Amino acid sequence: MFKFQDFDGKMLALRTEMTTPIARIVSAKMASCPEPIRLSYVTNVFRHGQSYVGSGREFCQAGAELIGCDSSETDGEILSLIVSCLRKLGLSDVRVDMGHADLLKDLLNATGLGEEGQVTLRGLLADRDNEKLKKFLDGINVQPDLSEIFLQLSRCRKLGELSSLPFNSSEYGRPENHVSNLLKTRDALIDYGVEGSVFFDFSLTRKIEYYTGMVFEASVPNTGLPLGGGGRYNDLIERFGCLKLPATGFALQIDNCLEALEAQGLQFAEKTRSTVLVTSSFRKVAIEAARPLREAGFSTSIDLQKADEKKTIDYAELSGMDYVVFVGASVVEPIRVYDVNSDTFRNTTLAAFSQQNGGRFR
Amino acid sequence: MKRRIRIAVPSKGRLKQPSVQLLQNAGLSILEEERTYVCATSDPRFEIVFARVFDVPAYVQYGAVDLGITGHDLVLEREAEVHELLDLGFGKCQLVVAVPEGSDINSIDAIPASSRVVTEYPNLAKKYFERLGKQVEVLEVAGTTELAPQLGLAKVIVDLTSSGETMRKNNLKIVGTVLDSTCRLTCNKISYRTFEREINELVHSLRQVGS
Repeated sequence: MFKFQDFDGKMLALRTEMTTPIARIVSAKMASCPEPIRLSYVTNVFRHGQSYVGSGREFCQAGAELIGCDSSETDGEILSLIVSCLRKLGLSDVRVDMGHADLLKDLLNATGLGEEGQVTLRGLLADRDNEKLKKFLDGINVQPDLSEIFLQLSRCRKLGELSSLPFNSSEYGRPENHVSNLLKTRDALIDYGVEGSVFFDFSLTRKIEYYTGMVFEASVPNTGLPLGGGGRYNDLIERFGCLKLPATGFALQIDNCLEALEAQGLQFAEKTRSTVLVTSSFRKVAIEAARPLREAGFSTSIDLQKADEKKTIDYAELSGMDYVVFVGASVVEPIRVYDVNSDTFRNTTLAAFSQQNGGRFR
Repeated sequence: MKRRIRIAVPSKGRLKQPSVQLLQNAGLSILEEERTYVCATSDPRFEIVFARVFDVPAYVQYGAVDLGITGHDLVLEREAEVHELLDLGFGKCQLVVAVPEGSDINSIDAIPASSRVVTEYPNLAKKYFERLGKQVEVLEVAGTTELAPQLGLAKVIVDLTSSGETMRKNNLKIVGTVLDSTCRLTCNKISYRTFEREINELVHSLRQVGS
């Protein structure tokens, strides 16, 4: 986190993500808003990159939060929203992999391991080395049925498969409850028509500090980094005051989404508007000519150099402009237009040129 | 959608030969290694790139390759968020704290505060000394760490050793162990989702020939 001191000595920090600031705002300023509250944002966040890779510190995120409901239906809405956002961007083969923070925490506690042992077990789950996981579980003498629950969860990929977990003893009441919530979320996903894109991944074990329920990550094949993720955080808002509200949400990493679009072959248009340089020996005429061009949607600049024709054209070309409009003593007279891209001149009128080449987008 | 699954293999050093051999035993022989950047293999589903072992964790994390063979020590040093699918068994080594033979430092505790520590593993070294509550100045070098004491650069180094041979040759003694490491098959998390079946098949064959 980037921290520094304000002039009055107070500590300031740049936000590393948006969920925590939103929790604070909801607690401090939105107590009287009717629930559920649906919020969204597109903003920049600031983080130290990892020590060896990537030097970027500022990232753009777009996200959504649904605050005030604790139902599986709410989780379903958020999951279906992240899928449809990514599809709307033009991405195909979008998938979401979800785990459950409290399910993991409760099962880890059920093993009776201390903190260090739990870290090791989480690491093994994250590594996806099931043989090592089995060996470790055998070595610590957990109940055979608990060991089997861990191994089955580690192998499980479809939410539907969760229904066959061997919760034989009442000891696992809370975990069983979490699993039944995941199955209810699956039912909501079926109604949203996105169940086929959502998978179970028990190895999603990192960065779950404030998550209490489902946690998830969105990705597409051939892009090595997740496009975004989120989860349920029912205890976060109350940390900022007395308001206790359950909440769920996600954030998309815009840079990663752009990379994914490129990997899937989408070409980005460099610009969407034509650019024009207006030049005239008469300042007032240049200003008058620029006005209708701007209204027609051109990105318009007025020539300030008053150089000869060749230099003006050179300037337009080097600046990446599309047209140079030469206007004489009046805007109603015919004008000459130089087309930078085709290297040609033509005679026309301002009105005709705006109509032919204006329009909002090329 | 399906493309070849790309595996990064150490391009030189002590991990290269056993990696190539193990893959070959598992039915993945490298075809035309010379002159090509990406090598085809006898299994058309997989291709191989040779990469610096230090770079492999980042390649895997960012998805430049789907799988990569590298040391557990490097995954931790790079803090790479990758799956470690399989312990390949070879490349056993230890990351150790060492001082010159003649030094009167005989244990970690005896290392004076604000000593300079030279290492190729700044991240792990910093964390190790922080955990012990010891303030040291960690200086990163890109190789031949064992020379640092002879050159007067530092009295303490953190370096990899497998047999202790290099340490002895350079008149160094080990006073502490940061971690034990072996070679691992690492995997990009999203590649694992995309190619789970193929990757599990490879892991299965590697497990069989490895044991």
